[in-house]
Amino acid sequence: MADRDMPAPRREPADLAALLRERPEEVVAQPVERLRAQSRRDFLIFSLGAAAAAVGAAWLLPDRNRTRLFGRGAAAVDGLLGRVGLTRPLREQVLDRVLAFDDQVAAAMYSEHRLVRTYTRTQVTPLRNNYHGRTPGPEILPGWTLNVSGLASGRTERLTTADLLGRFRAHEQVTRLICVEGWSAVSWWGGIRFADLLRAFPPAAGARWAALTSNVSLDARGRPEPYYVSLDLGTARHPQTLLVTHHLGQPLTLAHGAPLRLIAPVKLGLKNIKALTDITYMTGEPPDYWNERGYSRYDGI
Amino acid sequence: MSDAPQVQNPAPGATMRRVVRKHHALVRLSHWAHAALLGGLIVTGIAIYWAAPVFTHPRDPRTGSRDHVLDAGLAISRALGEQPANAAWLYDRLSLGTRDLARALRLHWAFAYLYMAVGALYVIGLARGGGGRALLPRPSDPQEALAMLRYYAGLLPMAVLRRPWPHPVIHSKYNALQRAAYFTMPIAGLLAVLSGWAMHKPSQLGWLERAFGSYDGARVVHLVCMLVLGAFVVPHTLLAVADGWDTLRSMVVGWSARVREGDDGRS
Repeated sequence: MADRDMPAPRREPADLAALLRERPEEVVAQPVERLRAQSRRDFLIFSLGAAAAAVGAAWLLPDRNRTRLFGRGAAAVDGLLGRVGLTRPLREQVLDRVLAFDDQVAAAMYSEHRLVRTYTRTQVTPLRNNYHGRTPGPEILPGWTLNVSGLASGRTERLTTADLLGRFRAHEQVTRLICVEGWSAVSWWGGIRFADLLRAFPPAAGARWAALTSNVSLDARGRPEPYYVSLDLGTARHPQTLLVTHHLGQPLTLAHGAPLRLIAPVKLGLKNIKALTDITYMTGEPPDYWNERGYSRYDGI
Repeated sequence: MSDAPQVQNPAPGATMRRVVRKHHALVRLSHWAHAALLGGLIVTGIAIYWAAPVFTHPRDPRTGSRDHVLDAGLAISRALGEQPANAAWLYDRLSLGTRDLARALRLHWAFAYLYMAVGALYVIGLARGGGGRALLPRPSDPQEALAMLRYYAGLLPMAVLRRPWPHPVIHSKYNALQRAAYFTMPIAGLLAVLSGWAMHKPSQLGWLERAFGSYDGARVVHLVCMLVLGAFVVPHTLLAVADGWDTLRSMVVGWSARVREGDDGRS
């Protein structure tokens, strides 16, 4: 065959340049009527889109911005939006759905086998005490126990820090704690793996969640206000999820959650509960303090 | 929105008009959707920034502020003689305001997912319409950019002197300055999305966080992308309006009535 003797066509680098070269603009002749009809339709779509964006912005705008923007007309805007069904409850419902979707994305990205980046001890940065309320005083320490319930045994285990450190292997890690607010800190933590506690005291069959509570937590005026977070057991089993007793090589200070706190570097800081007193395993998702205040509930990072 | 006009068999005797195909329908759609979403992302993003500014100074004992944006707001409010002076002055005007982090985050995620979808439509539109080629840099760009800068610099003086000041002859869809800007914008948008994910999922996307150096590195890049995209809007709008109705219309209908006869004029 003659073809066999022909050199194979070789793709020259020039082909790519030709492919990327700007083509001359294409001139087409069109009936004026058709252009007019097309313009009418496209401008109609554009106007509808612009109107939808304006209405959507007014609807999504927080109330105080609405008041600032529209002044006395805010009530009228509210009424008009309500009349087309764009109410405040619907707005919150839609934004809740967005958060739930974002949480699903986070859960899908999560792997128990993927370790987070670790740092050296020289890379430690200052850690701020971000207790929402007042920091608990030393009176919480004497007689403190970690109460673990929802167990397969049906019992409630009451464990002291000495029990935990005596029974389980100590682990140390230098990881970054990231706050939902945007700040972060590299810290050196020491404690036991949550996974080891789960193995030693298995949860009841069907449990998928841990409800973590600090019942010594205080509000801004120093009155008792329990802090509670939900933690999926997949995250609890992560090898870098620790029940921490030590910070920077020293026992935890009250500011950072003495005598025991959670460090789960695959979660936002707000899940990393301080002064942990209770762990309860559950089948259903337990309530979460910040989720009840408009933040997401999974908080996987 | 439809594709650019298709050549059809016209009815006999129909009046014909020659037009130039400009922008693919998906490019037009994503252009306007991007404008709206960028606004939403900026006002929610600055409200998020308030909660933990990345550019800080040691706490000022008098104001309690560590944040340059609060300081600037306070200075403006004082200069305006407001009683009492309002440190949130800038945040109140550039964003949803202070102390509303949960709401700002919810809205930011909503806009961010839409932003990514719109970005994908834009890329599909560029690919299908072939418009992407007009945005690519080329060797002649520096020289042409200088010619354009010279033209813009002389525009006003020559108008005052009533001297002719012809527009440099451009043989491509965009001049070099436009091309640089239109090429940079998608990259800034892409970097904003990537740095956003690096901040949003630094544990699962550790490689992405590392690509920006550190967690705060991603925050800084995200902020710079916002500034670049935001800074683009003002001259872009002014120049598009100055260029006239045909240019504005082309981003809605997809075609322009400015047909170059040969290559003798500007587009």
